[in-house]
Amino acid sequence: MRPFYENLPFICIFIAIICGVLSAVIQDGRKVYRLALMMTAVIAVLSVVLLYFLYTEDVSFVYSMGRFAAPYGNAIKAGPLQALLATVFAIVMGLSLLGGGHSLFQDILPEKQGLYFVVTDLLMAGLLALVYTNDMFTGYVFIEITTIAACAMVMAKDTGPNLIATIRYLFMSLLGSGLFLIGLTLLNSVTGYLLMEPLAKAVAILAELGQYQRPLVVSIGLMVVGLGIKGAMFPFHLWLPDAHGGATTSSSAILSGLVLKGYIVLLITLMTRVFGLQLMRKVGVSNILLTLGLLGMIFGSLAAMREYHVKRMLANSSVAQIGYIFMGLGLGTEAGVAAACFHILVHAACKPLLFICAGRLSTVSGHHRSLKNLRGSAYRDVAAGVGFTVGALSMIGIPLLGGFVSKLYLSEAALESPFMAVVLLTIAASTVLNALYYVPAILAIWVRPAWEEVRFIMMDVKPEDTRFDRLFFIADAVFIFLIFLLGIVYHPILNVIRAGIRLM
Amino acid sequence: MLLIPILLPMIGGVFVFRQRNEKIRNRLVLWLTIATAAAAATLCVLPERSLRLMTIEGALYLEVQSDSLAKFFMVLIVVIWLPVAVFTGAYLRHAGRGQQFQGFYTMTLGVLMGLALADNFVTLYMFFEMMSLLTMPLVLHGGTPAARRAGLKYLGYSVFGAGMALAGYFFLSHFLTDQSFTGGGALNLSLAAEHRPLLLIAFLVMMIGFGAKAGMMPMQAWLPTAHPVAPAPASAVLSGIITKGGVLAMIRVTYYLFGPDFLRGSWAQYTLIGLALCTMFTGSMLALKEKGLKKRLAYSTISQVSYVQFGLLLMTPGGMRGAFLQMVFHALAKDALFLAAGAIIIATNFTLVDQLVGIGKRMPRTMVCFSAAALSIIGIPPMSGFISKWYLASAALNSESQMVGYLGMAMLILSALMTAGYLLPIVVRGFFPGRDVLVERKEVGPQMTAPMMALGAAVLILGLFPNGLQAWISVILPQIF
Amino acid sequence: MYWLQALPVLIPVVLGMGLLILQPQNRKVRNGYIMMSVLLTAGLSFASIAVAAAADVTPACTLVRFSSEFSISLRIDGASMVYGTIVSALWPLITLYSLDYMSHEGHENRFFAFWIASFGVVLGVAFAEDFLTLYLFYELLTLATLPLVMHFMDEKARYAGRKYLVYSLSGAAFAFIGIVFLLSYGTTLDFTYGGVLDLAKAAGHESVLRAVFVLAFFGFGVKAAIFPSCGWLPDASVAPTPVSALLHAVAVVKAGAFAVLRLIYFGFGADFLRGSTAQDVVMTAAIVTIVYGAARALRTPHLKRRLAFSTVSNLSYILFSLTLMLPVGLTGALTHMVYHAVVKITMFCCAGAIIQKSGREYIYEFEGIGRRMPVVFGTFTVSAFALIGLPPLGGFAGKWMICSAAVISRNPLAYVGIGALILSTLLTTLYMMTIFVRAWFPVGAVDTEALLKIHDPNRAMTIPLIVLAAAGIVLALLSSPLIDFLRAVGSNML
Repeated sequence: MRPFYENLPFICIFIAIICGVLSAVIQDGRKVYRLALMMTAVIAVLSVVLLYFLYTEDVSFVYSMGRFAAPYGNAIKAGPLQALLATVFAIVMGLSLLGGGHSLFQDILPEKQGLYFVVTDLLMAGLLALVYTNDMFTGYVFIEITTIAACAMVMAKDTGPNLIATIRYLFMSLLGSGLFLIGLTLLNSVTGYLLMEPLAKAVAILAELGQYQRPLVVSIGLMVVGLGIKGAMFPFHLWLPDAHGGATTSSSAILSGLVLKGYIVLLITLMTRVFGLQLMRKVGVSNILLTLGLLGMIFGSLAAMREYHVKRMLANSSVAQIGYIFMGLGLGTEAGVAAACFHILVHAACKPLLFICAGRLSTVSGHHRSLKNLRGSAYRDVAAGVGFTVGALSMIGIPLLGGFVSKLYLSEAALESPFMAVVLLTIAASTVLNALYYVPAILAIWVRPAWEEVRFIMMDVKPEDTRFDRLFFIADAVFIFLIFLLGIVYHPILNVIRAGIRLM
Repeated sequence: MLLIPILLPMIGGVFVFRQRNEKIRNRLVLWLTIATAAAAATLCVLPERSLRLMTIEGALYLEVQSDSLAKFFMVLIVVIWLPVAVFTGAYLRHAGRGQQFQGFYTMTLGVLMGLALADNFVTLYMFFEMMSLLTMPLVLHGGTPAARRAGLKYLGYSVFGAGMALAGYFFLSHFLTDQSFTGGGALNLSLAAEHRPLLLIAFLVMMIGFGAKAGMMPMQAWLPTAHPVAPAPASAVLSGIITKGGVLAMIRVTYYLFGPDFLRGSWAQYTLIGLALCTMFTGSMLALKEKGLKKRLAYSTISQVSYVQFGLLLMTPGGMRGAFLQMVFHALAKDALFLAAGAIIIATNFTLVDQLVGIGKRMPRTMVCFSAAALSIIGIPPMSGFISKWYLASAALNSESQMVGYLGMAMLILSALMTAGYLLPIVVRGFFPGRDVLVERKEVGPQMTAPMMALGAAVLILGLFPNGLQAWISVILPQIF
Repeated sequence: MYWLQALPVLIPVVLGMGLLILQPQNRKVRNGYIMMSVLLTAGLSFASIAVAAAADVTPACTLVRFSSEFSISLRIDGASMVYGTIVSALWPLITLYSLDYMSHEGHENRFFAFWIASFGVVLGVAFAEDFLTLYLFYELLTLATLPLVMHFMDEKARYAGRKYLVYSLSGAAFAFIGIVFLLSYGTTLDFTYGGVLDLAKAAGHESVLRAVFVLAFFGFGVKAAIFPSCGWLPDASVAPTPVSALLHAVAVVKAGAFAVLRLIYFGFGADFLRGSTAQDVVMTAAIVTIVYGAARALRTPHLKRRLAFSTVSNLSYILFSLTLMLPVGLTGALTHMVYHAVVKITMFCCAGAIIQKSGREYIYEFEGIGRRMPVVFGTFTVSAFALIGLPPLGGFAGKWMICSAAVISRNPLAYVGIGALILSTLLTTLYMMTIFVRAWFPVGAVDTEALLKIHDPNRAMTIPLIVLAAAGIVLALLSSPLIDFLRAVGSNML
């Protein structure tokens, strides 16, 4: 008789899907909003419980779905890492919806609001599935579901540029999915399996025997590239600034904070569970990931420096931060993967915080978007200003904040690598580049400009915009708390991650 | 007791600054100088003693003492300071801003006393820098942009020179048995022998550094710039005493730190002798070509002081004797010349040599003093300058190296000829202007002429009766050889 | 009482933020709050230092524990005592001065909030036990002092603030790499005299470690204004003068030098670095900066910028002494740190008084001001002499210790350093004396009418000036016991 907690992953996914269906039926936007929030809260709690059990017993389990026995059919595999990721994803999604709530109801047409939350719930389901999946088929299915849901999130705010951005996003995403599918097909033909365990065994045998070298390499490459396109790896990131920059605040937060990570988590699962880090290194895919990660770190920041529009700047910054993660993965060691996972958590906490704060600052400044017009906005909503500052400082890497710990562990992991010098110098250079655009942003919102300059902005501000937004405040506070948590009490979290990788 | 000659003028100088009334101020300056002279005289009579002022750290401390060299210099300084102080009182009536000038003048006296009384390098350095700082306002007294530039140039050279000496001392200090000045040298000879090249380089650097103050090449460029713009009394003390302050430092370094035995016959010695001879020659040559009176006298100083350096670099008792004599006589004579030049400027506003035709008729007393001093500088008996140059010449001939001997002699003679060439015409044309020029008498007041005449008389008398001075020098020499 | 050390670090931060929240409008109340905060912090700091000095084994105080190896902890050792004392002694004096100064400038609540907080952060740098703590407070120092630099919020201030922030954060990023390496190749991150490197682990990787050291040196050196990253300091002189006095004498630049001190003597270890090319590189950088700073100072007519370049040059005296990699070098560096702090702070306060009372910022406008502001220019002159290095005033002892150490090191490059120091002395004399000469010996027509409006500032500003100048003189006279103490610190006998 399996312990009860083993049902939790499936239950979480199921809840998400049910809520999605319910949201389609209930028409009232506000009610659906509350439903979505409750859903994320429940899923977070359940995931915490799961995490607790898995970590204390130091075990991971496989959970078959349906009647098909292995090696066919669908399965879920959950370990401490998956539970942790699920918890964080749920919390972040909930907070993002909280923080961006005000803008949400302003940006989206009332008749479409219910649909938005359908999409949100589906997205939650998709993410959970990507985290927990133990077979490639499920993985692929939910990749597609997530893609479409994400596109819908972008498109929720009905503007011309957004539609174009959505189309571009869709195009690139489907390209990525297509490549992934081809790679998957190749792999299946060569090995005959879709379930990850037998797949891993088959791949290992093939690698040892030296058979089907080229198809193996090609399939690895295609799958990595496919997921990379969807995860905004350099140079496939060009869709990101438009898509994330133009969307409504919650969408940007969720997209940057979570959706990208979902694909990357799947990539991690592939790398560790299916192919194994050693094979990745041997084939050279690790080096490619490393290089593209490094380039992303630099070019993402360079692009961010040129942006005046604060959300686009944050979106470009995401490219740079994703670069850190790919770099960590590209180091090809368990330490590197652990550091990358930690950074996934840190970025998942920071970027949505930055987005919701930017959104709020924009709201209290008459919905103006460029940094020039956001001058002094921190004084109009101090909590948003503080939140933005904390998030930015974490991105730069100030100690006591999460970003510093990521940098520390990524640097330490880099020491073992033969590319140590390049990696460390790029980390340092990237810190500098991050400072070059986050600092002016922080200064901009905290420097009070002369009255004449802001008069035209203040004229656009409507009274209901400046009213105290309680939901935003809660989200803001919790995010800040999370970032400090990740900065100070990181050791246990890192232990969980390490255990999780071991138990992959 | 040791501190009185140092502190009395320095503190008194502050009061001089504040005294607006000219008469009272002149009197104050005079009395302060006399009092300092009395204190110095007392110290000379008393036996040697020393006093530690302060410990900077560990083995580094500030200390003063009165050994025979210190006494010698104290007396020299005071003897010059007194007449120039009298002259200054009258001069400033025409030049203006007396408070400032006399205040710094008085304070400089104190610092110079300190320089003479210094017992170790750091104390010497301290007073040296203070001297540079306090005399700079004397140079830029004129208040023109040119004066300011000259003052800063002077300061720059002085400070840099002192800095070079300090740099050399950093190295030297590790090889000294005793940080205090010791007659004959304070080197730990066994240790020093191992590092001879390094120490010689340090010696060279220190000498060139202090030599900047004494007008030795290659750091003499401040002299000709400073003298024309400074008021005459300032030029007098600059040429007369301040340069000798540099020489004092050089003597302390050579004879009281390194010791002649260590240095004799080394390449450093010969290099420096070469520089001194070069300076001798170049100074005189530039004086020949120079049209401005004070600048000509400035170049003359460069040349004449290098005689002193030459003497002290020979590292023989005879050379040192010549150096001491030359120091005293040059100080007296050059100051007389500058005071005369000052008187001429006040009376006639002439600054160029060519304008001085017939000046002897106009200002006979001034020109008599000028002539006496000029003759001494050229080295014509029975003027005192002759004695010093004689000793220098014989010391050169007696030196170990024949090259030095011949070269030295040659330079001395050449320089003497050139000196005559740039000083005599002034005298001749002053007294014998030719028939066309008619001049009326317009002498300056007694307050100005008296000091000049005193100096001129001293030049003559010491030339006739040098024995007292010689005896004193004979006391110092055994201590350093 | 090991928790005592945490108080002077944390309390001022809290009090500072308190000022920001409470925002008292009554000047008397505000000034009282500020002085009380600063005096309280200084008192606590001295108490902790005294306790640490009396104790045989100095205890550590952990503020935050991340894991068994990482924590944010404070511990007062010899070097901490020196730096901590400098900071704690000078801060209250400058606060007194700045209360009067800032009353003319405005926005005092915001200013003093960060002012008080910075005090705590600097003490955090001084009292840090390990590199992680040092790094944290180092970054916080940048953030805490930024609003002070940008106080006026005009074009120039914003530009200066941005430049300062970017330079500092970049420097810290490079120093971070050094810390990561120390983490991997060292036994611990705690400051240990002689270095923390595990030589067995480091064997074979020496050149990499030394290269990383150079990187970290330049990283921390940004705050200590090493060439070529000294550009932020002169630009930062657009800040109000108390900030310049603080930045340029006590808080930021000395924190940079202090971090380098920790890096060399308590991190990588002087023995490990001595004689290597890495030492040559950093020594050369220090020597170049000495001359560069002095030369630029000479050419700058703006008074505060001139003093800023002078700081660049003098900081590199300290860095040069540190790069000698000898205990005597450490002693020399500490000596100059002490004397330069007192002298430079005095000069900046004088500069502030001059600018505020006469409105003149450029040297060529100073003709004849000396007689109108005798107290200010008097103290300025005394400090200038000390800076030039006139015995027995303070600067001489510092230069002496540094040059002696250079001679003892027998390193030919160090000899070049002595030459650079002498050259710098000359340049210092020139750039200080030109101010002095213009003020006291004016040339040409002097606008007496305009001059009549200028006079000495009131007591609240002149008293600190006189106290500082007197303190400088007293410290110089007491140089012997002070240097004995610093020598003990330098050889780790404390």
